[in-house]
Amino acid sequence: MAENFAQHSSISAADLDRLTREAQAEATPSTARIIWNEFKADRPALISLFVVVGFILFVMVGALFINTPKMMETNIVDYFNRPLTAGFPLGADAGGRSILLQLIVGSRNSIGIALGLTIISSTFGICWGLISGYFSGYVDWGMQRVYDFMMMLPMTMMIIVLVTIIPHYNAVTLTLIFSIFYWEGTSRLIRSRTLAESGKDYAAASLTSGTNRWKIIFRDIMPNISSLIIVDTTLSFAENIGVETGLSYLGFGLPSQTPSLGTMIANANDPNNITQYWWTWLPAALEIIILCLAISYIGQVLRRAADASQRQGTTD
Amino acid sequence: MSLIEIKDLKVHYPIRSGFWNRVTDSVKAVDGITFNIEAGETYGLVGESGSGKSTTGKSVVGLEKVTSGSILYQGKDITQRRNRQLLDYNRDVQMIFQDSLSSLNPRKRIEDIIAEPLRNFEHLTKDQEKLRVLQLLDIVGLDADALYKYPHQFSGGQRQRIGVARAVATNPKLIIADEPVSALDLSVQAQVLNFMKKIQRGFGISYLFISHDLGVVRHMCTNIAIMNRGRLVEVGTRDDIYNHPLHIYTKRLLAAIPDVNVSERAAHRAMRQRVEQIYQSQQHDYYDESGEAYPLVQVSPTHSVALPPKLAQQLLVQESEAQD
Repeated sequence: MAENFAQHSSISAADLDRLTREAQAEATPSTARIIWNEFKADRPALISLFVVVGFILFVMVGALFINTPKMMETNIVDYFNRPLTAGFPLGADAGGRSILLQLIVGSRNSIGIALGLTIISSTFGICWGLISGYFSGYVDWGMQRVYDFMMMLPMTMMIIVLVTIIPHYNAVTLTLIFSIFYWEGTSRLIRSRTLAESGKDYAAASLTSGTNRWKIIFRDIMPNISSLIIVDTTLSFAENIGVETGLSYLGFGLPSQTPSLGTMIANANDPNNITQYWWTWLPAALEIIILCLAISYIGQVLRRAADASQRQGTTD
Repeated sequence: MSLIEIKDLKVHYPIRSGFWNRVTDSVKAVDGITFNIEAGETYGLVGESGSGKSTTGKSVVGLEKVTSGSILYQGKDITQRRNRQLLDYNRDVQMIFQDSLSSLNPRKRIEDIIAEPLRNFEHLTKDQEKLRVLQLLDIVGLDADALYKYPHQFSGGQRQRIGVARAVATNPKLIIADEPVSALDLSVQAQVLNFMKKIQRGFGISYLFISHDLGVVRHMCTNIAIMNRGRLVEVGTRDDIYNHPLHIYTKRLLAAIPDVNVSERAAHRAMRQRVEQIYQSQQHDYYDESGEAYPLVQVSPTHSVALPPKLAQQLLVQESEAQD
């Protein structure tokens, strides 16, 4: 059969190298290249990228050098030390504990939980939505009833109850508990786009080309909704920082001996702190605002990179 | 023996309604059609939109769930998924889609698109595979530098030729061409059709050519079936259909072929109006009480028409008298 093709074409194995090289010269730039060009074209996003990546690296590494139990010891002498005093660049809280060190360890904990939560819940939600949307019929029906049931549960209350009845929990268990409840929104979003994509001819063409259905879902349809996935994931990362922070603020997140952005913002519960001791809560609040803003800038660039008609970067 | 035999194929879609969402009725997209495709021929399937011709094509390639009837290939009924897998059916039967843009995955490079059936059905080495893809591109008249580009970088005609290259990749025996050129402009239509004919001659492929454009069908097909409301109304050779049409629907379709001869514009217009008038007044003779076409009756060895036998004979006599 190979001879059959050779008969009708002047191309033979001898030309393979030369033609491959020619084609590579004309090749469209890779996805990574396009994303980088897009970042270069958008200065605020480029700065955001450096800020977010630099900050995450800094707190992850910095927290390793901090002895947390020692840092969290109450030291009455340093009670509400003002910022820029000896040993306390950002001041101290009611227990005389350094705000700067708490901020570093707290950021590590909060961002770690948000990252873990985003990875677990988005992965699960994306798979759920893709499978449900592609197979439709009874599979879709069953999976959507599970979704409806999960949506019906009052999320915050369930998390509070679970946190209360589990005797010993830490950042890892807390992430897993959150993950049970945070995949639904993603799954519904992905399902609706999958329904539209799986009706397109290229999915049918892959099927007649003999490609396995699972491969069609994850290799054909998923790349085509990647812009939606990227945007949804970045935005839910920003949102997930808020999830842990909000619960810790209410007192149901991480245990009080584990600093986090939420426990630090919870300092603002006290009217005295709001007016007089602003340094106890303001840095954490500012950090969350800056992080979330920067992440949404990055999300915008990724969305533009994924959609050829919106690109601003030059393709050289 | 025919390459593929379609017997009493039915594709019905249920209509659900009422409180319990039960099946109350069905849309009969394809309602009992029978025809055979011979090796190496181009079989035309013609009809208006919604007549079920695309559904027929999708059933033959295995994309549509068939309600009843059978499609025999190498003696096996391929409406069953297990039989399709057993035969590696889609290695031998491929499809060219109407919309060239949506039928090529926008996230894949041309090399991966054309190589997809090769990777699934033939286990070639990387170099053999790339060589085959380059040869295929050459056969459909595209340069090698298309290899690492994406579908949106090509024009409509080029994209459709990439679709043809993908369909030909595994050297199939039958290609379902579902309105392959109706989205293209006329000059590009001719180009793609000529490539398809060239490939047919070179590889001995059969086409099931689905179209509503009778001019294109005349250029491509040796045997033609006219489809209307889910049933075949007339089946015959190119000569039977174009020169001796018997069914009123076929005549109406033929009258609708545009003619560029300006000097005879008035005459054509009058002819079209006459055909339409006859269609409106005699419609009930050609369809039964529920508005469906009659079963096919044979009027000559190659020619069948969906009419009550008496009327068919009568028309045949009229037709031959008119010829003399």
